[in-house]
Amino acid sequence: MVIHERQVVGLRGVWKVFGRQPEEALQAIQQDNLQKSDVLERFGAVIAVRDVSFTVERGEIFCVMGLSGSGKSTLVRHINRLIQPTHGQILVNGQDIGALSADELRALRANQIGMVFQNMALLPHRSVRDNIAFALELRNTDPFTRHQLADKLLETVGLQGYGDSMPSKLSGGMQQRVGLARALAADPGILLMDEPFSALDPLIRRSLQDEFLALSRTMNKTTIFITHDLDEAMRMGSRIGIMRDGEMVQIGTPEDIIIHPKDDYVADFVQGLSRLKLVFAHRIMERPETYDQAYGDLAEMDTWPQAHPEADLDSLVSLIIGQQCPIAIRADGKLAGIVTKDALLKGIQGQSS
Amino acid sequence: MTTHTPGRGETLPPEISKDNSDFASFKEFAGHRGDYYGQTFLRIQQAKLPRFHLNTSALSGGFLWASLRGNWLLFWIGFATDMAAAVNFALVRKYDLAVVQAAADGKDFLVQRYDGWSDAHLQAALILFFSGRLLLGWLADRLYYHHYARWRVNRSLPSGQAIRRLGIGMLAVLFVAPLTIYRASQFAPDQRSCIKLAHTIQDGGQVPLKDRFDCWTISEFPTLVWLQRPPQYTFPRNDDGTRSIVVKEPSSRRPVNLNNWLSEHIDQRIGYMKAFYGWLFDGVTHWIRVLLNAVEAVFVGTPWIVTSLMIIMAAVKLAGSRMGVFTAAVLLYLALFGFWQTAMSTISLTVAATVICVVAGLPLGIWVAKSKVGAAVVTPMLDIMQTIPSFVYLLPAVAFFSVGKPPGILATIIFAMPPMVRLTALGIQHVPASTKEAALAFGASPSQLLLKVELPLALPSIMAGVNQVVMLSLSMVVIAAIIGAGGMGFIVVDALARTQVGRGILAGIGIALIAMMIDRVVQKVNRM
Repeated sequence: MVIHERQVVGLRGVWKVFGRQPEEALQAIQQDNLQKSDVLERFGAVIAVRDVSFTVERGEIFCVMGLSGSGKSTLVRHINRLIQPTHGQILVNGQDIGALSADELRALRANQIGMVFQNMALLPHRSVRDNIAFALELRNTDPFTRHQLADKLLETVGLQGYGDSMPSKLSGGMQQRVGLARALAADPGILLMDEPFSALDPLIRRSLQDEFLALSRTMNKTTIFITHDLDEAMRMGSRIGIMRDGEMVQIGTPEDIIIHPKDDYVADFVQGLSRLKLVFAHRIMERPETYDQAYGDLAEMDTWPQAHPEADLDSLVSLIIGQQCPIAIRADGKLAGIVTKDALLKGIQGQSS
Repeated sequence: MTTHTPGRGETLPPEISKDNSDFASFKEFAGHRGDYYGQTFLRIQQAKLPRFHLNTSALSGGFLWASLRGNWLLFWIGFATDMAAAVNFALVRKYDLAVVQAAADGKDFLVQRYDGWSDAHLQAALILFFSGRLLLGWLADRLYYHHYARWRVNRSLPSGQAIRRLGIGMLAVLFVAPLTIYRASQFAPDQRSCIKLAHTIQDGGQVPLKDRFDCWTISEFPTLVWLQRPPQYTFPRNDDGTRSIVVKEPSSRRPVNLNNWLSEHIDQRIGYMKAFYGWLFDGVTHWIRVLLNAVEAVFVGTPWIVTSLMIIMAAVKLAGSRMGVFTAAVLLYLALFGFWQTAMSTISLTVAATVICVVAGLPLGIWVAKSKVGAAVVTPMLDIMQTIPSFVYLLPAVAFFSVGKPPGILATIIFAMPPMVRLTALGIQHVPASTKEAALAFGASPSQLLLKVELPLALPSIMAGVNQVVMLSLSMVVIAAIIGAGGMGFIVVDALARTQVGRGILAGIGIALIAMMIDRVVQKVNRM
């Protein structure tokens, strides 16, 4: 248990097969290494999730990224057991949720996991306040506490004074704020966000992303965030898992994925992506010795612009515009490396020096 | 991508189209007389077929031509018109013979009548034959072209001519024609005389062969099964209150047909159940009566001043002041024409039936929506309940519960409940899956899901169901007057029996007004 203290959610070898005989299909798949089309033909079954394992640590935002049909929504519904895995184990706070009774499972859903949906899924016959307090109502909390809490949450998501409105009177962005407030109501440690901002227009999506990032920094929630938008994944995720056809192709930090795509599929994906905010100085800097051998003007470095190793390419570009000299990268007051103009341009383009 | 290949139609001018592959395919399809069909089909393709173009082979050959060509649609069109003509010719012969017979019997009025009929059938026969053949000749090439178009896609369809198909056509003709024409030329015996004939045979009497043949072929479907009559049971009550079973031999030893045999059995089963499970039916009757009494105490037992005021106030409160005025007008009509008590009794019946329908229909609807077993059990029952004409419900109600108001309410319930069940189930099934998923994701238990999510979201549908139940109950309560449920319906039934049209019309208007009043108020409530 001590080892897993930081691990909040863990999936081990999770399979999900949809169809009439999922068990038999799964056995055949594992034995004969069947492909998708074979499984469909022989069993009329579809593999939605294929041998996925990963862990999410406390406070992390773990993005699951994939195109539609890649199984990401199915995968995330395993975490609160809205979907039962065909095979594999799911741990939440060190507890195997496959072993929970119906009552324990309801308690887990109500207390520990909040969920936000792409289509909001608010209850149209209830006011915003009653929607937010829904999870508490299910746990038989008294109305007074419910109202207090709902009003506090409305403030958190920036909807003061809308408590008595009906959801249909709100715009899409506001509705999703209500959805977020509802997910936060029971103060769960884990948030499952199923493409929460996909249905919103780009401007509102942007501002909600920023707000959510700010919120999650202060509230220290563990978030599993599903998206089909790579930009969003890169913005939001502390780590990203890329899914294709039910398989987790690659898991890593945004930088990892952009610099070391595991296969052509991922490479194709990240190709068009701007690296300005995702690649950092330490990736592209040259060691001082190497630089000195090539140019020999290290002595003038005090007149050069200075930057931190964690500075992104965007900020380096701003520093170097109009300058002839390179940038000195300093960490803890010591010279850590040099970034030349060429190295920076190559870094933006995606070539590694 | 870059070079443009012109299509066939663009390169070939219409003059040389005889050589194009379509023409060859026409000929291949038609086989015999390929040139004629090739030409005709080309003209059809070019929309140049003359308006009155006729296929002479089809005109002269009729359905035989169609069967040779394997076009069964044309075969049946041609055969049906020829057959109708032949039947009319046979009728001509039948009435000609009848004329001779009537003349011999000296019945002049029959001679005249049969003469007229004979002439009419002759005209019909001639018109049917000639117009039928013309129609076939006109349709032949046009439909045959469609046949060709289907054949192009599916080569297994018949093409060309084949003697084998002519054989199939002749078989169909042999099967249909002789008996049909025979039937038309004879006065067919009715069912009663055929049963008499069967009795004579059973008693060992002699019957002419022709009569036997007629009874088997051109009368009602012959009685194949003769069954021994079941013994007659009665269930007299003993002194200590128990019942004993007394068996009597059937009154007649003669066997009966399936219908009589089964209906006698059913009668005896019902008699048995009434004798030994009477407590069950009495119990149901009792509790319906209790409910009805409670409702009637409100509507009938309260003085008219109070009731009418309450109803008007309720209408104003629920549906606005305009509906209040309308309600007042309806009540005034009922009061002025002396329908007050009867109308209130009808409303009581409706309310009682509605209450039972809603109380029983709501859980049934939830069961149907939630469980596959429920849907499999209840849905076919609802289908049956809705297909059977409302009149027929009165029978079992009377059989088990005798006459009066409780059986009337029971028949009404069976008639009016299906929409309640269906619309409840529909409403619950239409709750978006994502909403239900959200509720589950926040830890809702099945009962919380039902009470806090599904039922509230299904409420509009459920209320539509209640509206339907009210209206159907009202209409059935009126019909139930036939079995003694009383109310406004009784006035109509009574007026019908005594041919007092005026009274019936006034009561009918009263019923219509009550229906409008209830419908409008309930609809207004639903919309809020």
